[in-house]
Amino acid sequence: MNLSTLLPGLVLMSSFIPGLAIFFVPEERQRLRTALNMAGATLKLVLVAVLVWGVYHQETFRTELPLLPGMDLVLHADALSVLFVTLSSILWFLTTLYAVAYLEHSPQPRSRFFGFFSLCVTATIGIAMAGNLITFLIFYEALTLSTYPLVTHRGTAESMRAGAIYLVYTLVGGAILMVGVAWLAVLAGSVEFVEGGSLGLLSQTAVSELRVIFVLLVGGLGVKAALVPVHGWLPAAMVAPAPVSALLHAVAVVKAGAFGIVRVIYDVYGIGPAREMGVLDPLAWLAAATIIYGSLRALRQDELKKRLAYSTVSQVSYIALGCAVGGPVATLGGIVHLVHQGLMKITLFFCAGNIAETLGLHRISELKGVGRRMPLTMAAFTLGALGMIGVPPLAGFVSKWHLGSGGLATGQGWVVLVLAVSSLLNAAYFLPILHTAWFKTPEVSPEDGLARRWREAHWMLLLPPLVTALLAVLAGFLANAPFSPLGWSQLIVFREYRH
Amino acid sequence: MGNPSSIISQDAFLLLLVPGLPFAWALLLAASRREMLQFLAPWVALPGLLVALLLPAGTIVDLPWVMLQTRMGLDSSNRVFLLFTSLLWLLSTMDAWESMAGKPKLREFLFFMLLSMSGNLGLIVAQDLFTFYLAFALMSFSSYGLVVHYRNEESLRAGRVYMVLVVVGEILIFTSLLMVHQTAGSALLSDFSEVAKDPWILGLVFAGFGIKAGAIPLHVWLPLAHPAAPTPASAVLSGAMIKAGLLGWMRFLPLGGHALPEWGALFIGAGLLAAFGAVGIGLTQRNVKTILAYSSISQMGLMTVGVGVALMLPDKFPQSMAAVTVYACHHGLTKGSLFLGAGLVQSVQRDSRHRAWVLAGMGVTALALAGLPMTGGFLAKGLLKDVAGAAPQPWGGLLSALLPVSAWASTLLMVRFLFLASRVSGSGGVSTGRWLPYIGTLACVAMVTWLLPEAASWRGHALEADRWWMATWPLAMGFLTALALVALLRKTGKSFAVAVPPGDILVVGAILVKPLKSAMTLMTSVESSLDRGVSVCFWNRCGRGPGAPALLAERLRLLRAESILLGFTVAGSLFLFVLVALFLLMWWPGAFG
Repeated sequence: MNLSTLLPGLVLMSSFIPGLAIFFVPEERQRLRTALNMAGATLKLVLVAVLVWGVYHQETFRTELPLLPGMDLVLHADALSVLFVTLSSILWFLTTLYAVAYLEHSPQPRSRFFGFFSLCVTATIGIAMAGNLITFLIFYEALTLSTYPLVTHRGTAESMRAGAIYLVYTLVGGAILMVGVAWLAVLAGSVEFVEGGSLGLLSQTAVSELRVIFVLLVGGLGVKAALVPVHGWLPAAMVAPAPVSALLHAVAVVKAGAFGIVRVIYDVYGIGPAREMGVLDPLAWLAAATIIYGSLRALRQDELKKRLAYSTVSQVSYIALGCAVGGPVATLGGIVHLVHQGLMKITLFFCAGNIAETLGLHRISELKGVGRRMPLTMAAFTLGALGMIGVPPLAGFVSKWHLGSGGLATGQGWVVLVLAVSSLLNAAYFLPILHTAWFKTPEVSPEDGLARRWREAHWMLLLPPLVTALLAVLAGFLANAPFSPLGWSQLIVFREYRH
Repeated sequence: MGNPSSIISQDAFLLLLVPGLPFAWALLLAASRREMLQFLAPWVALPGLLVALLLPAGTIVDLPWVMLQTRMGLDSSNRVFLLFTSLLWLLSTMDAWESMAGKPKLREFLFFMLLSMSGNLGLIVAQDLFTFYLAFALMSFSSYGLVVHYRNEESLRAGRVYMVLVVVGEILIFTSLLMVHQTAGSALLSDFSEVAKDPWILGLVFAGFGIKAGAIPLHVWLPLAHPAAPTPASAVLSGAMIKAGLLGWMRFLPLGGHALPEWGALFIGAGLLAAFGAVGIGLTQRNVKTILAYSSISQMGLMTVGVGVALMLPDKFPQSMAAVTVYACHHGLTKGSLFLGAGLVQSVQRDSRHRAWVLAGMGVTALALAGLPMTGGFLAKGLLKDVAGAAPQPWGGLLSALLPVSAWASTLLMVRFLFLASRVSGSGGVSTGRWLPYIGTLACVAMVTWLLPEAASWRGHALEADRWWMATWPLAMGFLTALALVALLRKTGKSFAVAVPPGDILVVGAILVKPLKSAMTLMTSVESSLDRGVSVCFWNRCGRGPGAPALLAERLRLLRAESILLGFTVAGSLFLFVLVALFLLMWWPGAFG
């Protein structure tokens, strides 16, 4: 036993053990709970830093636990998993801080919430570091279940309904995925994730089966990735408390689906064989349709969180689009968007939560003059929204540039058209929010003469969006620096296309 | 040019300050209410001026980590742009500080001014497409704050139209830059002169930057937005920022590469249309600032003609570009001065003796715009005419004949402008502080264009008799036409202004809005049925009795009633269930294998 075999497991445990412990913390012992939370989050950050350094220097990290004969629980760290793990750990740290401020004074059981919150992140980390399909599937289902109590946390009729919708969608998706995995296991035995694909000769001998399996796998994953037409759960789930929505949209559930699609295309099928099978083009079209459809729907939501939710439907499909279009540049755009979308969207949800929590406003039409009252929150929101539109130097621009470039480089000019329409729609649903918040004068109601006063959120609610907004700016502005999300994604793409 | 060193030298640092200082200052303004910050705000344009005057061409700074690649530098074509742009920003911001001193919204206004300034100066010194695009976006989005400054109905409408066209322009430019980058295989501006003559690229570049440059029919935002902003902002919008579109063309069109006669003809045609059409519509306007905006469209049309000639004659493109650059400098300064003058006139009392002085200044400036001998306009128009006359026939002859006619049209428009300006008045006087920037612009109008090295070849011709004649007769004719028109109108007793609403063909756009709206309504109903199709149908079997998912939901709702089962138990038991399923699954392939 040494560091290279222990580290992936330790990273996983750093949230699992605090999570379990928190379940047994009495409700009123808030300090203890927060200490456990933050200690776990901090420890994970340190461990992940070690992991990043090691993977950059080509060290291998692999934890194996024999599960069943021929089936091992494998956690490993390659460049792609490190990207997702790093994103999750940083955003988890910030979201925990945010959630403590957001929920510690609520009447609902908080130990339950923070326990599942930690399990949810553990599952995400597990998905990121899964070394084979079975391990991936286990953590994927664990994620589904550990998220359910978070979505229904408020216990209202609406949130119970949203939780039920969520469960039905994701369990059915999970079942389809399971069938796909099982079928593939019958054909190929244990399916490891290997850069460049792991099916070997099988991809020439069993083409038609593999096509069907691809549809099953991506169909199952597509539920969480909110591909149209199985996106319905995501806008419904926005009734969850803000920190949950933030995590759900930025790293945990939606990203897990998108990440799974990347894994299946690149590390199971391999980009070359997948292209020859002809399964990528339909996926690219589906992703494009989702991008446009999500934006069209977002356009006419007045509820802020609902508009953001439809925006996620649209933006997450950039990842699938980039991977399905193929070619190193588009892949780079897709993979880097995994991080960029996370940073920008979590900022937007944090800010929406701040506005709801501090001013009690939920609808866009109510946001008149909010920029004057909560300038820092709205500044962060503005950066996130402009980034989503693709305004340079924010992170979204870097993603869109590579997606478009990659489309042109592979002779698929229609990708650029999709991007153009999508950007236009992004602008059409984000800019009015900014206009309302910054340039409209607040309506002063007779009973509340204070509608103009500065009323910024609590610092623990304010700090996370400011940090993530700053990260979104830096990810774009210093895109060419080493260890930027773009730089790291280049490493991933280099290793994927080396084969 | 030497080796672009990575060490930040003193020169390179100054270059970084050109966009960097205004940006940083804007952030400071946002963070602090200190008056000193507002007072010093105009002077952040100074690095731009210093760089334009002092640094040698070929100064470059590379920031490889920033964005996808960043290079800024001074080359032969951007020095003049930098010079007049920073002058104009400096003087306009001074005027803003003076005219709005003590008003609560000054800080906000200066914030948007400095952000736009940073973008405008940044795109001039940009040497790669990412930096150019970044700065262009910064300028375009920040000037929204200038356009909607007054928050009245007029400015909000102008802001809406402006924003729509900004977004459309951004996307067109983004797309064209993707293609340019793909074709050239490089992001550096210096590598673009040979990009293939792909009609898509050319069309996108034309339209994308044409929006900013006010090319017809993409000009509709301009007569609304330029007048809606406070005058110091109008001055930079119409004098400096409008030139970003022109610079975009100069940077991204394959000038000096292949000859592109068809595209040249398109640019010349669009330019002539703007040059004459805008005067025609401008004459019907009653707001002095709207007239100035139409005048800007018309003048930009002449510069577009110059770009068209450069596309036709790649061999002579340095000369055509020099002519266009000198013209841009001349127009930027005069238009800025005219706007500041209009702002002054609007704020002084009718019987004030300052008023006559301001009007006199505006009179000379307006004549300079029309090409009065020995002014900058004389020189710029002369240079442009020489270049245009060299264009292949029939364009050369046509342009030689039409350019003087455009000077005649400009004169007519300027007479109309002066006439209306003389009737505008305000309620105060002119503070000493406001004289300073105005006189500054007058001094610039008088001198800067003449001192440009690009104009050196022409200065020698300045005293030739036929040049004087060519410049004078359109002016004289313009005045005579104006007098005749006034006499005619007096006689018939009709009002001069036919009411063409500002934004002219925007009216056509407004007609299109209605079907668009009904299309949106239609879509909403399609969407809701889709929703029913996708989730509700899934949920309720299209509304007929509970389906399996609905039953499950019912169960779950029952579970909620027993609150113990909530949370832990539901999740826990489901988790167990899935784990069991997984274990079974794992045995299953083994059983078959």
